[in-house]
Amino acid sequence: MTAPNSKEACAILAAARAEGRDALNETEAKRVLGAFGIAVPQGRLLSPAPPPGFAAGLSPPFVLKIVSRDILHKTEAGGVRLGLADEAAAAAALAEMGARISALGHRVDGWLLEEMAPAGVEMVIGGIRDGRFGPVVMAGFGGILIELLQDIAFAICPVDALDADDMLVSLRGRAMLDGWRGAPPAAIGALRDVLLRVGGKGGLLETLQADIAELDINPLIVSPAGAVAADARILLGARG
Amino acid sequence: MTPSPETDFGALFAPRAVAVVGASSGTGGIANTFLRNLRPGGYDGRIYPVHPSAPTIEGFPAVRSLADLPEQVDYAYVAVSAAQTPSLFQGAAGKVRFVQVISSGFAESGEQALQDRLVAAVHEAGARLIGPNCLGLHAPRARLSFVDGVAFASEGVGVLSQSGGLGVDILRRGQTRGVRFTGLVTLGNCADLATSDLLAWYLADPATRVIGLYLEDAWDARRLFDMLRAAKGTKPVVLLKGGRTADGQRASASHTAALAQDDRLWLAFARQTGTVLVETLDAFLDALLLFQCAAPRATPTRRVVLFGNGGGTSVLAADAFSRAGFTVPRFAAATLARLEALALPPGSSVQNPVDTPAGTLRQEDGRIARRIFDAFALEPEIGAVVMHLNMTVILSYANPRILPNLFEAAMAARGDGADASHFVLVLRSDGEAAIEAQKQRYREQAVAASIPVYNELVEAAQALRGLATYEAYVRRRR
Repeated sequence: MTAPNSKEACAILAAARAEGRDALNETEAKRVLGAFGIAVPQGRLLSPAPPPGFAAGLSPPFVLKIVSRDILHKTEAGGVRLGLADEAAAAAALAEMGARISALGHRVDGWLLEEMAPAGVEMVIGGIRDGRFGPVVMAGFGGILIELLQDIAFAICPVDALDADDMLVSLRGRAMLDGWRGAPPAAIGALRDVLLRVGGKGGLLETLQADIAELDINPLIVSPAGAVAADARILLGARG
Repeated sequence: MTPSPETDFGALFAPRAVAVVGASSGTGGIANTFLRNLRPGGYDGRIYPVHPSAPTIEGFPAVRSLADLPEQVDYAYVAVSAAQTPSLFQGAAGKVRFVQVISSGFAESGEQALQDRLVAAVHEAGARLIGPNCLGLHAPRARLSFVDGVAFASEGVGVLSQSGGLGVDILRRGQTRGVRFTGLVTLGNCADLATSDLLAWYLADPATRVIGLYLEDAWDARRLFDMLRAAKGTKPVVLLKGGRTADGQRASASHTAALAQDDRLWLAFARQTGTVLVETLDAFLDALLLFQCAAPRATPTRRVVLFGNGGGTSVLAADAFSRAGFTVPRFAAATLARLEALALPPGSSVQNPVDTPAGTLRQEDGRIARRIFDAFALEPEIGAVVMHLNMTVILSYANPRILPNLFEAAMAARGDGADASHFVLVLRSDGEAAIEAQKQRYREQAVAASIPVYNELVEAAQALRGLATYEAYVRRRR
C-alpha cells in the first residue's frame, strides 16, 4: 500500500468546514479517496455551460453528472448519464439535463465529466463513526438496490486482512464476484484492498475519524481489472 | 482508575469481611435475606450489619455506620433508598474496598445527578462501586451469594450480567442444566466499574475457563472489543446482548448510516472477537454448558455423527445439524462394513444418522453401544458424536443398567488429543414428571463426567455451532 496523503485529505476537509459545509462535494470526496490510494475515475469539473473542447484529454465513454447543492440523490433526480460516446453526446446530454433540472427549480452549479469505469460488479464500501465503537466500516453489494438487498457486512475498525475476508465471504451474493454465469471473475484482491484502505489500520476512517461522520463509496465498480470508486459521498460531523 | 485485575478483584470474589447496609431489625427486605443466608450458605468471614440504632441485626452485632467499621471490609452490600446512598460514605475513607449498591432510582430513572454524587462519594472513600440498580454477587471462593441454593464451583463459568433478575435466572436455570459458576456479578448501571473491568479479571482468572456476558447498554463496548480482540480467543466468551433490535434509527443521509443497525454492529463484534453471540437465555446456558464440558478441537468441528433411537427424530436431527452448518456425512465403506458386521436387529439403520431402535439399544443391557461407537471411531474427521435417547421408551424397559451402560460406552468412545470428537447427549422425554425427574438425575451424572446434555437436538446443534465458530476463530487467529 502506498502511504496515504492524509495532509491533503485534511486540507480538503478543513476547507469545507471553513465554508460551514456539512458535506464534501463528489469531486472533493474523490480527492480524499485518491489521497488514500483508492482508484477514482479520471475526470474534471465543468462550468454550467462549458466551452467546446471540454472533454479534451479524457477518453470516452464518459459519465456526466450534475453538480448542484440542491440535489442530494443525483440518480433519482435524473442528473446522471452513462456511456456517452464522445464530446458531442456529452454536450447533448448536458443540454437536456440542464434544461430539465433548471425547470424543476434546482441550481446547476456545474458538471462532473468522468471517464466511465470498466464494467464490473457494483459494490459498496462505507463507513460511519459510531458513538460506542468508533469508526465502523461496511462492505457489500452496492448500486441503487443497496437498501433493498441489504447484502452488506459491517466491521469495527481497524480491520485486518482476516476481517476483510470474513466480511466478503459472509455476503450472500459473493458468487457474483467469482464470475457469475460466464462473467469474468472480478478483482476481489482490489476490492479487499479498498476495504483495507478505508477501514484498516491507518486507513481513511481511522485517520480522519475526527472529521468524517459518514462515508459512502457507491458504487465501487469491481471489474476484472480492478476497483474504481465511481461515486463517493462524505458527510462531516461535529468534530469527534 | 482501573484496578489491576489480579490483586484488586480477588478481594471482591473472596471477601473476608463484608458489611450489609439496609437490613432492618425486623424481618426486613432483601438485605435481611442476604444477611440471613450468609452463614447457612457457608460464608465464614466476618459480617458487619450497618444500622444507625439497632444493636443487632439477624443475630449479628451491628455497627452504626460504615465509618464505625472496626476494619476494612472487602465488600459492602447496600440496599437503602437511593437518596440516602451518597451520605453512607461520610467519614468512611479506607473502610470499604468494593461497594455494591442494589438500590434503584438512579440514572435508569433519570436521576443521573444522584448517581454521579454516589460515584463521587464512593471514590472519596477510596472504594469502587458496582451497580447501582442490580441484585448482588455470587462469589463461590468465599461461599457467598445473593441467591441461595446455587452450588459453589471451584472451576467453570464466570458471568457478568447487566441485569440483576436475569443474573438470578442464569444461576438457577444454569445450575439445573449443570453449569458450574466460578462467579457472577450483576452490574446494573455500571456507574463506576463496567463489564470490561471485570472481564479483564475473568480473562486472567485460572479457575474461570468460560465467560458469559449479558449486556444491555454497554458504554464500554469499545473497550470490551479491544480487550477481546487482544485476547485472541484465550477463553470462550458467550454473549447475550439485549436490545439489539432497538429502533435506534440514525439521522443520516448516507446508505451506510441507514444500514448500520445495532444488530449488525454486534454481529461484527462477535465475528471479529470470536465471541459466541446468542439470542435467548436458554441458548446462552446451552453454549456455556458445552464450553464447560468440551475441550475445543484444533480442527473446527464440521462432520457430525448422529446416533440414537427414533427414525423421524434422526431425520429431523440431520436437518437441524445441516441447517446449523454441519454435515452429517455418509459413512465410508469400511465403517459401514464394521457396523453391518455387528448384525444389529432389524429396524436398525447403520448409515449416518444411525437409527437404533430402543430394542437394539437394550441389547446386552446397553453395552451394544460400545461396539457401535467402536465401529465408527475409525471414520475420519468426525468432529462430534451426538447420541439422542428417548428416555420414555428406554425407561419403559425397567432395566436400570441400560442407560448407565450407554453412558459408559459414550465415555469410553470419546478418545483424547487435540482433535478428539466432541460427545454430546440429548435426553428426550415426554415431559411427564416421573420421567423428567429421572432424566434430571441422568443429566447430573453425565455433566459430572463432562458430557453436556440437551433436551432436544436443535439445541445441541445450536450449541455445537457456537463451539465450532469459536474453534474456527482460534485456528485462524492464533
